[in-house]
Amino acid sequence: MAIYDSVFDSLGLREWCDGGGSGEGPMSMAELLARSRGESGGGTGGASLWDLPFPSLDALHDACGVIPESRDLTLGLERGFLSMRDALRVVIDPVTQPLSWMLRESLAVMTNTPWWIMIPLLLAVTWLVSKSWRVVVFVAISLALLAFVDHYNAAMQTLAIIFVCAFICVLFGVPIGIAMSRSDRLQRIVIPILDMLQTLPPFVYLIPLIFLFSVTEPKLYGIAIILYAIVPVIRLTDLGIRLVDKDVIEAADAFGMTNRQKLFGVQIPLALPNIMAGVNQTIMMSLAMVVIASLVSAPGLGVLVLRGIRSLELGVGLVAGFGIVLLAIMLDRVTKASLARIDASQARR
Amino acid sequence: MNDQVKISIRNLYKIFGDTPQAALADVRAGMGKPELLEKRNHVLGLSDINVEIRTGRITVIMGLSGSGKSTLIRHLNRLIEPTAGEVLVDGENILTWDETRLRRLRRETMSMVFQKFALLPHRTVLENAGMALATRGISRKEFEADANRWLDRVGLEGYGGHYPHQLSGGMQQRVGIARALTSNSGIMLMDEAFSALDPLIRTDMQDLLIELQAELHKTIVFITHDLDEALKLADHLVILKDGAVIQQGEPQQILLEPADPYIEDFVSDINRARVLRARSIMEEGPAEGEISGEIDHNDNLESVIAMAEGALDRRYRVMRDGEAVGSLEMPAIMRALVPRQASRKTARN
Ligand SMILES: Nc1ncnc2c1ncn2[C@@H]1O[C@H](COP(=O)(O)OP(=O)(O)OP(=O)(O)O)[C@@H](O)[C@H]1O
Ligand SMILES: [Mg+2]
Repeated sequence: MAIYDSVFDSLGLREWCDGGGSGEGPMSMAELLARSRGESGGGTGGASLWDLPFPSLDALHDACGVIPESRDLTLGLERGFLSMRDALRVVIDPVTQPLSWMLRESLAVMTNTPWWIMIPLLLAVTWLVSKSWRVVVFVAISLALLAFVDHYNAAMQTLAIIFVCAFICVLFGVPIGIAMSRSDRLQRIVIPILDMLQTLPPFVYLIPLIFLFSVTEPKLYGIAIILYAIVPVIRLTDLGIRLVDKDVIEAADAFGMTNRQKLFGVQIPLALPNIMAGVNQTIMMSLAMVVIASLVSAPGLGVLVLRGIRSLELGVGLVAGFGIVLLAIMLDRVTKASLARIDASQARR
Repeated sequence: MNDQVKISIRNLYKIFGDTPQAALADVRAGMGKPELLEKRNHVLGLSDINVEIRTGRITVIMGLSGSGKSTLIRHLNRLIEPTAGEVLVDGENILTWDETRLRRLRRETMSMVFQKFALLPHRTVLENAGMALATRGISRKEFEADANRWLDRVGLEGYGGHYPHQLSGGMQQRVGIARALTSNSGIMLMDEAFSALDPLIRTDMQDLLIELQAELHKTIVFITHDLDEALKLADHLVILKDGAVIQQGEPQQILLEPADPYIEDFVSDINRARVLRARSIMEEGPAEGEISGEIDHNDNLESVIAMAEGALDRRYRVMRDGEAVGSLEMPAIMRALVPRQASRKTARN
């Protein structure tokens, strides 16, 4: 029974409650059930204090029809979202369209190029970035291994998505980080947003994206990955620039450098180890997210893992998982090697 | 050497805090540094500074830690904005200058040498030496010859391709000096330039500076907390305490007539025989009576005592550029060797 009935009665709000018209309206299933149970329970006229429910929306609704149910709240959110959707899409769609396009192109290029071009190309890039034979050999063996167990295509798809997303993260993250390092106010605004992006479980912010875009659009998972992975590169760029030796900055000022000269000639070069550490983190987080994003149709190794879970094909899931670990180690080693190279050229003090 | 005033500091005040203007009124009304900190929570950085810095001379600003030396020198190129007062360079108040003119001042008229060297760690020694010129937009090809010439001059030939972290502290500061010299500016600001170096290297660097100055006649503002260094380098000595000038003038004069117990303390530990010169304590006018020999007006007392072989009845003619300018008796030397404070103490006992 509606325990809070008496509360509303004693407050003299009965009329206001019934004015909402719940009394005459068709009963919900829950109400029916409650009523029948109340009648069969008989006699007591209400539950004991032991059963007192928390005065939640649903409990209060039982007692007073004007108060909405919780479901109405979520429904309201849904409707709000849906009504905003079109307006939002007008703005967001064209802005994010290039992302869909880049992802499609990159996927097409990486999977359609024959392996005997693609693998040497990747090895060449590895050499350029890391300048370390050990890393190149490791990458070569890993790629060969993946290809040998027929995961080459999936791995290339995953890599294609990571390359595009990490590139965009750096493209936007570094300037945002620089802007933050120059303005304490901007930093105060952005840091809570970054905290939120980092603490929200990745699944949760898939939800508004699913509302906004259709699941067939690559930008859906593209945006999810970028939102998740852009955080470290922003943070570490900001931090890196703020940590640049104050004395060196003062010297730059004393010799009359313009802000521009200071930024490109002093601050960014000296913050580079930190920025690169951020890029490394960003790439690793893109990889983590691209696996989760297979829930919203991102192709690649994640899909195989998902298949393993869904249809209990243990072997498929394990091999794909192992492939992801290999990719992770490859990406980490390559970026770490380039980071070490930058550090070495800057070893100071 | 001429006697033109290059930089003139007039009624300069600097107060650190949220409302410096309000605190300024109190300071003008006579509130001291400790009181200002306690009552108003503002730090008195500089209080009513008036100093004239002459062309081609070394002006040394001396004071204990926290006395405001760094704050003062940073007003000369406006790395710090004053709360009140004027800084005239060649007769023009630089506080009224806009950013462009100020930048030109920093690029072309003044250069700075820092306590912690503040070299660019990611640039070679040569590029560091040419930093001022590169900042003006001069290409490496054009500044290379200049930079190399000054690197050679400070004793770093062959190190152009090294990075700062590959050099010792003393060598790094030589790069700092080469950087200031390469900028070819008339004014050099040196903030505790030798304080981070060990004593032997420090003496070397002082000698290097004296040698360079004899040749270049720059206008140098040199900051130190070391009296020996101050006396060795200074043409004009300014003593700061708690943000105020308590005495300034010819170093010999300050040594002989300290205006304040604080300065008496400072000078009481010094080897006066080595610092004081004949000219400062001689009796002016033609030497009459018996003369035991001739000394130069710049000879220090130590050498005169050595010449007299300890005898007290000698009397010397003081010569300047081959002309007799005065006479000096041994008892006068003995009197000058006793610091004023010590003499007062013995009198009290
Ligand atoms: N940005 C600032 N904010 C507040 N107080 C400051 C600031 N800069 C300097 N001060 C204060 O001004 C005073 C003078 O500092 P300054 O650095 O000029 O001393 P200094 O003579 O150079 O000392 P040192 O020999 O240690 O370098 C100190 O009391 C210091 O606390
Ligand atoms: Mg200082």
